[in-house]
Amino acid sequence: MREVTIMGCGMTKFARPLPGSLMDIASEASLKAIEDAGAGDRDFDAVYFASMACGEFAHQTAAATALVDELALIPAPTHRIENGPASGASAIRDAFFGIASGMYDLVLVTGAEKMSTVSGAVATDLISTMLHHEAEYLHGATLPSFAAMLTRLYMKRYGLTENQLAAVAVKNHENGSKNPYAQLSHKKCTIEGVKDSIMIADPIRMYHCCPVSDGGASLVICSAEKARELGIKKPLIKIAGLGQATDAHTLQEREDPAVLKSVQLASQQAFKMAGLEPKDIDVAEVHDAFEILEIVESEDAGFFPKGEGGKAAEEGKTALDGELPINPSGGLKSRGHALGATGLAQAVELVWQLRGEAGERQVKDAKNAYALNFGGFGDNSVVTVLRRTD
Amino acid sequence: MSEEEKKMIGFKCKKCSRINYPKRARCLSCKGMEFEEVELGKECELVTYTQVYNPPAGYKGDPPLMLGIVKFPNGVLAMGQLAIDHPKDLKLSAKLRPIWGMLREIGGKEVFGFKFELAKKEQTSKLK
Ligand SMILES: [Zn+2]
Repeated sequence: MREVTIMGCGMTKFARPLPGSLMDIASEASLKAIEDAGAGDRDFDAVYFASMACGEFAHQTAAATALVDELALIPAPTHRIENGPASGASAIRDAFFGIASGMYDLVLVTGAEKMSTVSGAVATDLISTMLHHEAEYLHGATLPSFAAMLTRLYMKRYGLTENQLAAVAVKNHENGSKNPYAQLSHKKCTIEGVKDSIMIADPIRMYHCCPVSDGGASLVICSAEKARELGIKKPLIKIAGLGQATDAHTLQEREDPAVLKSVQLASQQAFKMAGLEPKDIDVAEVHDAFEILEIVESEDAGFFPKGEGGKAAEEGKTALDGELPINPSGGLKSRGHALGATGLAQAVELVWQLRGEAGERQVKDAKNAYALNFGGFGDNSVVTVLRRTD
Repeated sequence: MSEEEKKMIGFKCKKCSRINYPKRARCLSCKGMEFEEVELGKECELVTYTQVYNPPAGYKGDPPLMLGIVKFPNGVLAMGQLAIDHPKDLKLSAKLRPIWGMLREIGGKEVFGFKFELAKKEQTSKLK
């Protein structure tokens, strides 16, 4: 397999609403990544477009073709990648295979979602369609209801406290306040503020949930040979490890509903491929669509022992100056969660961190980075490990 | 079959005996494709639950919508709505039983399925 390198990255601010159409958002992110890579006049061998539900939210299908047209990259081959909210990480993965195989040298990977076109109730329903149709969706199950049932189960078993759960939200809002791209960069919160926020699905409150977002993010990915040929001056970021695994579609049919086995498997694969262990990771972006997920994921990824993720957050171990900073971008909680764009936004943040370009939220001396993107409620996990090579 | 007689059914794999619920084309444990229909049980135990204050479009009841995961004596777990009026003292090991009812509307059509109510409620109403 050939070595694969991230040469450029860029993203829009996440917001609700973000002005412009789905294509405006996707092209803004793409052009920023192309400019960052110094590839303005280049043709691309392929374009990968990630969106979970552009047909449903933006009334636009075959959107990948529209993007190639918008960016004047004809006749580059393109298609849309849909893997629920992990569409972005799955697109990076597919682009990796395209380059590692020797088929392509230079590709563009863009994710975008425009969710503000519908009401909150309709957005909740559209997102719920990713659940098991007969056993979950038809019963009225929503993603917040799953997060709530997991939280109750996890609290009972591991003694997670409300303060520990709130600490994750406080930390992510603190990080997001240092990120100009974050949707909620203007909002910080306190432990008491989180505990007083309105109940969404008990014990889950508003400040335990990510917002609904519009946004786009993009990467320019190439072979290591191509990167050398193009002579870019920025530190090269290698896609060092990839992992992906699925689990039973319904929450209750998993071996243990309080364990995210797909996260364990995907993480182990990615670490093995990268030749790293969890302790080697300097910075991580994880899928905190709900704050309970950051806790459980941080354990199942191998960063903390089972049952100790909440304590780690409360003790500041996952803060910007902690032993493993998690979600320096603010995570889905504060940066926002524009579905198909999220996996790419995680990667963009980690590229900035590894290059030392993350400004006020820079993690010191970051060399190895980990990203986890969820394609459902724990039933499809995609892990990417990035490494600065210098 | 009258509505009261409707039974909650699982799909027992003829090869490995795993009871699959919901049904799939192949058994999740062994890829077996032959199943025997078995009743999941008249009583189950609450494993976890929530009250959803912003239920999805199509839910016709007043919020909150109660959802929970229950466990049957044969080990099978299922998710469903909880028809419980006063959940304040609800314990995670509460004994429940499946009942048939309307779940929500989707695309203007009523969707029916099993919900769960307190098993005790049945006993008190019988006493009356
Ligand atoms: Zn079987």
